[in-house]
Amino acid sequence: MIFATPWLLLALAALPLLWWLLRVTPPSARVQRFPAIRLLEGLRAAERTASRTPWWLLALRLLAAALIVVGLAGPVLDAAGGLAGSGPLLLVVDDGWAAAPDWAARTQVVQGVLDQLERSGRPASLLLTARNEADQAPRPTLPLPAAELRTRVAALRPKAWAPDRAAAAAALQADGVKAGGVTYIADGLAAEGDVAFGQALAAVGPVQELRPDPVAIRVMRTPKPEADRLVAHVSQLAQPAELMLAVLAQTGDGRTLARAEAVVPAGATGAEVAVPLPPELRNAISRLVLEGPSSAAGVALLDEGSRRRPVGMLALEQGSDTPLIGELFYVSRALGPTSELRSGTLEALLARDISVIVLADVPLEGEQARTLAQWVDKGGLLLRFAGPRMADEKGGDNGADTKRAAGPDPLLPVKLLAGDRQLGGALSWSQPQRLARFGAASPFAGLAVPDEVTVTRQVLAEPSAQTASRTWAALADGTPLVTAAARGAGRVVLFHVTANADWSNLPLSGLFVDMLRRLVDLSVGVAGAADDTVLGPAEALDGFGALVPPPPAATGITATELAAASAMKGGVSPRHPAGLYGPESGRRALNLGPSLPELAVSAPVPGAVVASLQGTVRERAIGPLLLTAALGLLALDLVLSSWLRGLLRRPSLRAGATAAAILLLATPAAAADLPALTTRLAYVVTGDATVDGVSRSGLLGLSAYVNRRTAASLSDPAAVVPGQDDLSFYPLLYWPITADAAPDPRAIAALNDFTSRGGIILIDTRSSGSGEGFAPGTDAALRRITAGLAVPPLTPLTGEHVLARSFYLLQDFPGRFTGETVWVQRDQDRSNDSVSPVIIGGNDWAGAWAVDGQGRNPYTTIPGGTRQRTLAYRFGVNLVMYALTGNYKGDQVHVPAILERLGQ
Amino acid sequence: MSEPARSGVFGGTARRAEALGARLPPLLVAAQRVATTVAQGVHGRRRVGQGDSFWQYRPFVAGDARARIDGRASAKTDRAYVRETEWEAAQTVFLWRDASPSMDWRSGAAVPFKRERAELLLLALAALLLRGGERVRLIGGPPRVRGGRGALENLAESLADIPAGTGMPPEVPLPRHARIVLVGDFLSPLDSIRTAVGAMAAVPAQGHLLQVLDPAEALLPFSGRVRFQGLEAEHDEVVPRVEGIRDGYEKALARQLSGISALCTAAGWSFGVHRTDHPPEAALLGLFSALSQ
Repeated sequence: MIFATPWLLLALAALPLLWWLLRVTPPSARVQRFPAIRLLEGLRAAERTASRTPWWLLALRLLAAALIVVGLAGPVLDAAGGLAGSGPLLLVVDDGWAAAPDWAARTQVVQGVLDQLERSGRPASLLLTARNEADQAPRPTLPLPAAELRTRVAALRPKAWAPDRAAAAAALQADGVKAGGVTYIADGLAAEGDVAFGQALAAVGPVQELRPDPVAIRVMRTPKPEADRLVAHVSQLAQPAELMLAVLAQTGDGRTLARAEAVVPAGATGAEVAVPLPPELRNAISRLVLEGPSSAAGVALLDEGSRRRPVGMLALEQGSDTPLIGELFYVSRALGPTSELRSGTLEALLARDISVIVLADVPLEGEQARTLAQWVDKGGLLLRFAGPRMADEKGGDNGADTKRAAGPDPLLPVKLLAGDRQLGGALSWSQPQRLARFGAASPFAGLAVPDEVTVTRQVLAEPSAQTASRTWAALADGTPLVTAAARGAGRVVLFHVTANADWSNLPLSGLFVDMLRRLVDLSVGVAGAADDTVLGPAEALDGFGALVPPPPAATGITATELAAASAMKGGVSPRHPAGLYGPESGRRALNLGPSLPELAVSAPVPGAVVASLQGTVRERAIGPLLLTAALGLLALDLVLSSWLRGLLRRPSLRAGATAAAILLLATPAAAADLPALTTRLAYVVTGDATVDGVSRSGLLGLSAYVNRRTAASLSDPAAVVPGQDDLSFYPLLYWPITADAAPDPRAIAALNDFTSRGGIILIDTRSSGSGEGFAPGTDAALRRITAGLAVPPLTPLTGEHVLARSFYLLQDFPGRFTGETVWVQRDQDRSNDSVSPVIIGGNDWAGAWAVDGQGRNPYTTIPGGTRQRTLAYRFGVNLVMYALTGNYKGDQVHVPAILERLGQ
Repeated sequence: MSEPARSGVFGGTARRAEALGARLPPLLVAAQRVATTVAQGVHGRRRVGQGDSFWQYRPFVAGDARARIDGRASAKTDRAYVRETEWEAAQTVFLWRDASPSMDWRSGAAVPFKRERAELLLLALAALLLRGGERVRLIGGPPRVRGGRGALENLAESLADIPAGTGMPPEVPLPRHARIVLVGDFLSPLDSIRTAVGAMAAVPAQGHLLQVLDPAEALLPFSGRVRFQGLEAEHDEVVPRVEGIRDGYEKALARQLSGISALCTAAGWSFGVHRTDHPPEAALLGLFSALSQ
């Protein structure tokens, strides 16, 4: 501890004098008006005990005086050991991307340095080692007072590019900066020009270097797209212990759609993280983000490049695009509006990156087959259509021995039977076949099958154990129509009909368009071609990895340069910051991670005193604290003196004090009684502050709605922890499930007890129907934590259930999301009056009910609309009524049966 | 132009009247009530004399004026009767109460101010006397003897006009054999009391002295270090520990009381002590019986 103005402590020497003065001065007497004062004259008591101040009051006053003196002397706790040297200081701060993860700690340290400077009155010049947003090389400022530097430091932000220490060293030498000392707040990463920079610093004066310890920085390199996942390479400095890392796949509006984890072994410098992504979600992903402290290097922006899916089309005959009869006419019409189509020879198609190749009845053989197979293995999607040639080839008995020698076509998902099958011809008994509904596992799931689509000819798959699993679409009689098989990182898909209307009228239908688009979406995107188009900067990453308007120095970059910059060391600079370039339709991403060199720890500046950044504690001035304490003591002294003088003996004061004491004592007791006094809803505390906040505001909103609309009167909701709090006061418990929820036997036992006594639990996974993917992992968590919960046999909640009638008449039960089944107890159990003890759903009801302080609904409903919100509130009202009245409204459900009985 | 001035004059009068009116009725009512309870135990003169109320019929004797024959009584018999009334000889009682600042004090909200109690006793006594046909006059008040109906209200009004005074009655010319009632706290030195009482007794006049004391003055219930301040420009008295001087104070008070009692006895006066936490009826009865002797 040090003092800002130590000479003030001399005043402590006056304390004994104060003690003596206080001791000889008796406490002032209480004043009493008295008419018979004449009779008091000449009366003197033998004793004069109360004329001296009691010792404890004396001690109190002396303590207060001492506190005031010490407080005014300006004591500072945790004062650092002092700054290097004397005279003006050079404050050097690394503000490159590597400083972002612990930026808060760094600004604290800088502020601490400024505190010290301010105390000692030393001016300082500030040198930031990264180039600024206007692409100016680092230069030290003139020596400024600490107060002026403080505002500059407060405005500092880490940059999204690497520091330019070589330029900083050059600036130091060119300016001939001389200072009494140097304080260097380093990011700890090696960079070019470190040696020169170190020498330049050492030449300025004695150096004190503050560096992070250990350097925990991670960099995300370019993610590689694969068939159904993105693989990100994350590199870091070798650490002595095994570490977890997680990568989040986020959408443009910041929602996280997937999270993948990986373990970095001790001593390793990186790890591969595979983010599994269903094809439906891939297009929604706009960036991968490292979980943890944010920095520009921890963000990988995904551009349109990885979403471009060029489709190549190959036909054997000329005129394949002849209108209405050409082999590929319908395919090109179906994909043309959404995809980039190319046609040509196989060699020409494979010369460029391509996602999908469509073969219209092209038998494959020899070299061609091998080339295509390699391409498929690397992740291509091969889409084949059957046709007369394929059928003939499989027939194999028309003397095509040369083809046989090449072996069966390797690029087919299933073995085909010889010949084709004709349905509904002039000489056939059978009728043209309709399509069956698509299975849930098929990528076509959910597409409506029109009745008018019929198939008259097809090639048949040889029945095998795998046929069923490889069938994506089938005819009504079960024969496969579309089959597919994975091959390497890619897929082969076969339509068992032709791509034109010869064998079926499927290509004429809208279903064909939807099926082809879904297939193309399944394929892996490829990067766009590099060319010399200049792409203007659209958005740039700031130091923390958030997208902001590009800095003033940012200029356009050609696609070729952009591709080079993302692989080149130092390719990312203020001129070309990491971010998105190009027009809205074809954004290209430039990421910081790939342009960074291998990470290495920098050597300390030669001759520097090195201290740890984390170990630095911000010094605290405790003077004001001491003065406050002294004021408190003086206030106490005032009360005590008043008491000594008898001023507190008036009955009213005493009564007031007693009342205050009783009030203080009574408050906790009253609070403890509250749950039993009023009806209130409750929610289970999950430990996730956001979820708990939503639960609370949701139940607040519902309580207000119920109070407004019904005769029920609910108080503010309560937060409960099952197993710790008494649940018996609450009719209804709202339990949102979080993905990381862990089962707790005590909580489960308490909840079982709660339901067995008539309580109702609304379990909400907050991730179903239209909100699927909002809270990934909650379904698994639900299964995990309700393992011990006494859940009765369940049935879907329908409009016939009491819950749908208890106040409003409801047909569906949306929350923030809608469309998913809500489950209640099957009606067979007559115990507990058929009242369902648990209601399970995933519609995020609290989100729909939630109101904020201004009475607005902070969470929008999905798909949306006032109607959905109203229905959500009505479901809540029904639920509260159900919880409060049980099966009271059950009779209404049985009204038809009762009426029927009465009619007899 | 003259509007504000007129309203100022009227305003001042109105305010005084209002203050008076606010103070008088409860005091008068209380005085009447206290007087009523006492009057039940006191009787009239039972002698024939000048008066309004009927006393007896007696046979007409020679020498009586003819006009005195009572027609109604004489018509019943053959003899003539004369109607006689009871003797009502009115005497003027001089009343005084101490209005010095020391009377404007009370030790707590539970007891009345000493001056309030003194005025209550004074007015109640006046009400009794007026009802008995006596006349009353305030020492220090207007030199008019009051009697009959409405006198009580007038008395109460002029009571408020009397200046604060010094704690002893002012010297006024008194008729011989007047009756005097002095009410006050009589905490001033014995000599000044003796001077005042001696001057009155020398007229000669007979009187009664009632000392009104607050319970705190009687008991000194304070404790601790107390700075006592007088109400009449006395010096402050700092008592380090009041508990220690309580016995001494009681003795000093007893000396004061016995001193007053002795000088009253010497002058042929009577002396009583009344504490404000006691009911006023007892003190009034004491005063009244002392007066009716």
